[in-house]
Amino acid sequence: MTQKELNDQRLLREAQDAVRHMHTRRHFLRESAMGLGALAIGSLLGGCGRRQENVMSSIAFDPAHPLLPKSPPFAGKARSVIYLHMAGAPSQLEMFDYKPELMKMDGQDCPGSLLEGKQFAFIRGVPKMLGPQAKFAQYGESRAWVSEHLPHFSTVVDEVSFLKAVTTDQFNHAPAQLLLHTGSARLGRPSMGSWVTYGLGTENQNLPGFVVLTSGGSFPDAGKSVWGSGFLPSVYQGVQCRSEGDPVLFIGDPKGMNRDIRKASIEAINKANQQEYEEYNDPEILSRISQYEMAYRMQIAAPEVMNINDEPAYIHEMYGTRPGKSCFANNILLARKLVEKGVRYVQLFDWGWDAHGDGPYNALNVGMINKYRSIDKAITALLLDLKQRGLLEETLVVWGGEFGRTPMMENRNGQQNPYKGRDHHTAAFTLWMAGGGIRRGFTYGETDEIGYYPVSGKVEAFDMQATILNQLGFDHEQFTYPFQGRPFRLTDVSGKVIHDIIA
Amino acid sequence: MKVLFSRKILLVAGILLAIIIAYLFLSGPHRVDYSADVKPILNKKCISCHGGVKAKGGFSLLFQEEALAKTKSGKYAIIPGDPSGSEMIRRITNKDPEERMPYRHEPLSKEEISILTRWIKQGAPWGDHWAYLPVKETEVPEVEDDWIKNDIDKFIYARLKEEKLEPSAEADKTVLLRRVSLDLTGMLPSEKLARQFLNNTDTNAYSMLVDSLLASPHFGERWASMWLDLARYADTKGYESDQGRTIWQYRDWVIRAFNEDKPYDRFLTEQIAGDLLPEPSDADYIATAFHRNAMNNDEGGTDNEEFRIASVIDRVNTTWEALMGTTFSCVQCHSHPYDPFRHDEYYKFMAFFNNTRDEDVPGEYPAFRDFNDTLRQQFDAVIRWVKENASESQARTMTTLLRTWQPAINSNKADSLVNAVVIGNNDIVLVRNHAIIKLKGIEMDNVSRMVCRFFTNKKGGVLRTRVDAPDGPVLGTNRLDTSGKIQFLLVDFPVQSGVHDVYITYENPGLKNTVDALYLDWFSFTEQLPGKNKPGYEANNNAFRKLLTADLPATPVMMERVPGQKRKTHVFERGNWREKTKEVEAGVPGSLQYAMPAGAPKNRMGLTQWLTSKQNPLVSRTIVNRLWEQLFGTGIAETLEDMGTQGIPPTHRELLDHLSWKLMNDHRWSLKKLLKEMVMSATYRQDSKLTDEMKEKDLFNRFYARGPRIRLSAEQIRDQFLCISGVINPKMYGPPVKPWQPEGIWLSPYNGAKWEMSKNGDQYRRAVYTYWKRSSPYPSMMGFDAPQRNVCNARRIRTNTPLQALITLNDSAYLDMARHFAWRMKKEAGNNIQQQITKGYEWMLYKPLPQAKLRVLTELYIKTVNEFKKDAESTCEVAGFNDEHNNPNDAALVVVANAMMNLDEVIMKN
Repeated sequence: MTQKELNDQRLLREAQDAVRHMHTRRHFLRESAMGLGALAIGSLLGGCGRRQENVMSSIAFDPAHPLLPKSPPFAGKARSVIYLHMAGAPSQLEMFDYKPELMKMDGQDCPGSLLEGKQFAFIRGVPKMLGPQAKFAQYGESRAWVSEHLPHFSTVVDEVSFLKAVTTDQFNHAPAQLLLHTGSARLGRPSMGSWVTYGLGTENQNLPGFVVLTSGGSFPDAGKSVWGSGFLPSVYQGVQCRSEGDPVLFIGDPKGMNRDIRKASIEAINKANQQEYEEYNDPEILSRISQYEMAYRMQIAAPEVMNINDEPAYIHEMYGTRPGKSCFANNILLARKLVEKGVRYVQLFDWGWDAHGDGPYNALNVGMINKYRSIDKAITALLLDLKQRGLLEETLVVWGGEFGRTPMMENRNGQQNPYKGRDHHTAAFTLWMAGGGIRRGFTYGETDEIGYYPVSGKVEAFDMQATILNQLGFDHEQFTYPFQGRPFRLTDVSGKVIHDIIA
Repeated sequence: MKVLFSRKILLVAGILLAIIIAYLFLSGPHRVDYSADVKPILNKKCISCHGGVKAKGGFSLLFQEEALAKTKSGKYAIIPGDPSGSEMIRRITNKDPEERMPYRHEPLSKEEISILTRWIKQGAPWGDHWAYLPVKETEVPEVEDDWIKNDIDKFIYARLKEEKLEPSAEADKTVLLRRVSLDLTGMLPSEKLARQFLNNTDTNAYSMLVDSLLASPHFGERWASMWLDLARYADTKGYESDQGRTIWQYRDWVIRAFNEDKPYDRFLTEQIAGDLLPEPSDADYIATAFHRNAMNNDEGGTDNEEFRIASVIDRVNTTWEALMGTTFSCVQCHSHPYDPFRHDEYYKFMAFFNNTRDEDVPGEYPAFRDFNDTLRQQFDAVIRWVKENASESQARTMTTLLRTWQPAINSNKADSLVNAVVIGNNDIVLVRNHAIIKLKGIEMDNVSRMVCRFFTNKKGGVLRTRVDAPDGPVLGTNRLDTSGKIQFLLVDFPVQSGVHDVYITYENPGLKNTVDALYLDWFSFTEQLPGKNKPGYEANNNAFRKLLTADLPATPVMMERVPGQKRKTHVFERGNWREKTKEVEAGVPGSLQYAMPAGAPKNRMGLTQWLTSKQNPLVSRTIVNRLWEQLFGTGIAETLEDMGTQGIPPTHRELLDHLSWKLMNDHRWSLKKLLKEMVMSATYRQDSKLTDEMKEKDLFNRFYARGPRIRLSAEQIRDQFLCISGVINPKMYGPPVKPWQPEGIWLSPYNGAKWEMSKNGDQYRRAVYTYWKRSSPYPSMMGFDAPQRNVCNARRIRTNTPLQALITLNDSAYLDMARHFAWRMKKEAGNNIQQQITKGYEWMLYKPLPQAKLRVLTELYIKTVNEFKKDAESTCEVAGFNDEHNNPNDAALVVVANAMMNLDEVIMKN
């Protein structure tokens, strides 16, 4: 769509502005338990007997109601997405990509052929090869290889499709994360969650449509840009929900201002704004009134959904949560609650997977053991719990990092690292997807004997993005936004849907 | 489905109607206009296959010569004057689906076919897009009406008549006061100024108000906020750990420039090429930080060249988007899909920026060192002494060295390393025992000193500096000792000449070969302080050394590489920097119909001459459009970022050109004069109420039958509340400040920096001074659509969300302002609650509070007082402290103040 067409459509939609506003008002009356909003309504409802019509069937930015649910161009299998990003890039060689041949080379100098023309983040000179730091076995009917570090997850391998030959061209964290989530290694493009909420809106207007949860003590390396809205309107940026402090920034009333007072003050604001509307006749004022009503409802809905204490004990046991703490397991339980409540896109970042081995905390045989343990139960529980609720079919779950790890042991600054670790590796790493119409119990792609290069089924970030969009009902080539005179898309000029992993 | 259908019908009907009108208009004697009639069809239906990205069948419509050339099939797609012989017409009218164009898409409409046919018949005249043609003086419409106040209004009025709309009357004085103050200074006027204006019955009252606002120092702060989005100004570097960057002096430079009303051409010249001015002042250097706002990647193991190039590309894109409202970034990978820019023209333009000294190292060299007053005096004295005792040119060399540590070579540029390695961020060379570091091809003419910045934690090391070979002649032998700090080594030797390889060796007896011993940052090959035998040498030399080695904050600036090290620029195949193809020289796109001004050098200074020439069609239009958008909410051309053929066409093209012409000629690039003209217009001064007719005919106010009514910007919202609550600290300039922000917002990896709230009134500084962390900008500003400022942001798209309501309702910073507002009402506005609310409302809006609203707010007060009477703890919490305000009445007044600050008319500019 050109900017001009977009504008025409906008004008057209705006012509029906009043109708929609009335809808919002009624909608509010119907859903609002406390009847807030009843006050300013009379004049608006009067004389209008028309039924509300859903005019949001095509993608265009409606400044008054940017997040109303919209239908995708074709029926998608998935309704929502939970993306689990292990920031720092976990080692595929210790989790899913079993390489017995690599064990045989353990401790030997890396062959020159693997180093020629290569650029590494930290490896200098000739490093040693490093065998898998885990035992592996095959599980499930799909006979998928999983390491001993993931005893729980090994029981659900028949739910997932593994992508074993994912590749990227970015060997630094921030650019690689950006490429994966925004389709560009440079800052400035909208993130996948922004695209999805722009395209589909969200089903629960009392909650943000695109929620971000972080754990591991730091934000992902690319900062908030990995959930930024880029050139899309800022309303589509991810909203960070937090387990400490306000669950959504500024959602809590100031101390001492109880709900009755807040209700009274929003009522007063809206009453006065209604009077302002009568004087100025500007529909923007009506929009503001409905935003304040929505804010009030969000103040109830968000803390409710963000509170995991009311979950039964068996759920806590299943996920391995630690109520009151900030951790990955809690976030993953929240993710389930959020999609259950109609949130469109839930993005988790768990920081601390950068297994260089320059200290114990990031050593494959020390710190990473704790990281595996911190996710194993939770990711397993997520799949099982979604399944038992009948949500797995319509929830696409994605797990992975931004790149992989080298089969060589890192030798930072040309000297052996004190702990066992691996450098960043772009050519091949593992990612898995489950639910949302993805094939169950399948492995796509293969790497060579030491997990260095893809042998078959090579997949790029763009292909993965195209596949996610496809499952949501979008042709990634047609799903564009006009900006700077050209249609932009998440997958830029690349991307092929990975049909083999679609059920 | 049904809905979709009916919408489509509506849309189609609308388009049909437009086409019929166009048809009626075009048929008969009217000639088809390429830009208005033909180009839109080509852009929409043809060019994605036959344009800058693809040229299927060997046919492209991007440039005239391509369109008229023979296609792959040997046929001519377009034969001017002969539509029936033109392959294009044959193909668009063909019935065979395999032949018919657009291939596998809907056929062109009859009208579209008719336009293209007549166009070819009329000789297929090519036309240029309006925005690429030089700005000409435009005739002002000859209309008369009492409503009209200046030429702007004549353009607007003429168009309103065409649209059968009537302009609105002038807004109330109170409304105008608030509107123009927020627009020109971004905040409310001082009480004195407000009173002066409201009591002034002189016909010039408004004009006098405008002059006062334009002269206010707060003017610069408001307009800097706009510019800093374009300049992607931030206080951090961007990637991963997102470390701080000291570059606020640039922000202050922008504020000062707006306040001084620095002519826009000069404003741009200094920012693009201040360092290349004949005798650059400190401020000229700081101005060039404009393009040092590009991000810097300090992440471990990054390829510095990759991110240096990323910065250069960012500078090219920013220059086009911010200054010329043109999307140039497409041209990085291929010719522009729609607009007449060729692939290699991108790289020619890039060559202007490809020769600067910065190399994406964490030190952000070159940086302009900020001497404090004492050092500044010493510096002046040393330089004066060199001028008197040596030469002007040597004084310049010493000045550059002391202010910027340039020229220098980063250690990571070492040509080969033995027992040494480039570590971490690829910036520092780590040296171990028996190391040899080779610096290749150093120009040694007049060089008599090597300066090296280093750190060592091992005693007893010996550094030898040799030339030509690892065992070549020794220029210096120096013992290195530990000091716990970064140190400087000055190796002095007799004056050298010619080009040499320099070898630096490190020996430390007793140290194992694997122990990390020494870290090298940069080397500078320079001359010793001249004037050795002149009186005062020793004192000046001591001062010189002190100045050179002082640890000082420094602002990243632009500087060129020394002539011998000029970088070559290549075209990147499909934008990939690793795939370099042909070499190009600096140059500007050929399609804008005017070349570099005669005699302009092929560097950034020459580029500024091209940019600020009156022939440049884009620079003046872009800034005029932008200023208009700031006042009216929408640009004359809505897409500020793109005035090309795909942008939304301007609603009042003649007005845009008229103002652009005037800016360059009558106003001599003075933005204050241009702004004054805009705000003095009747168009701007109109009342902003909507009639039902306007709602129906012009909901978005594209024709200006009413005054602007738009939501305030993130900065205006904060600044306004600081004014209302009376806490505003008007202090200007200096390092960024940190107002209240919730816990846990900053969590960058490998970065322990914490947000520590500013004290002593610094927490109440204007929004423009708020610390801007790229990966986590100040959340309440983000909520109101402020960008992250990672890249140039040409336009903030306003949204309206519940999260915004939550900010002004609940953010502690806003609650704090509500408290101060409440205390102010209590203290200054009388004893009775109604008086207090009424007065408070007047402080916000200058107009009397309508009775109905007073009733609503009073009821809220009464209800809340009763609530607080039941709850002493809540009362204390809302009142904030257990002080004289800890009582139900005062707490309730805070709630009312908080509500008043959330009224639509307060969040909006009316």
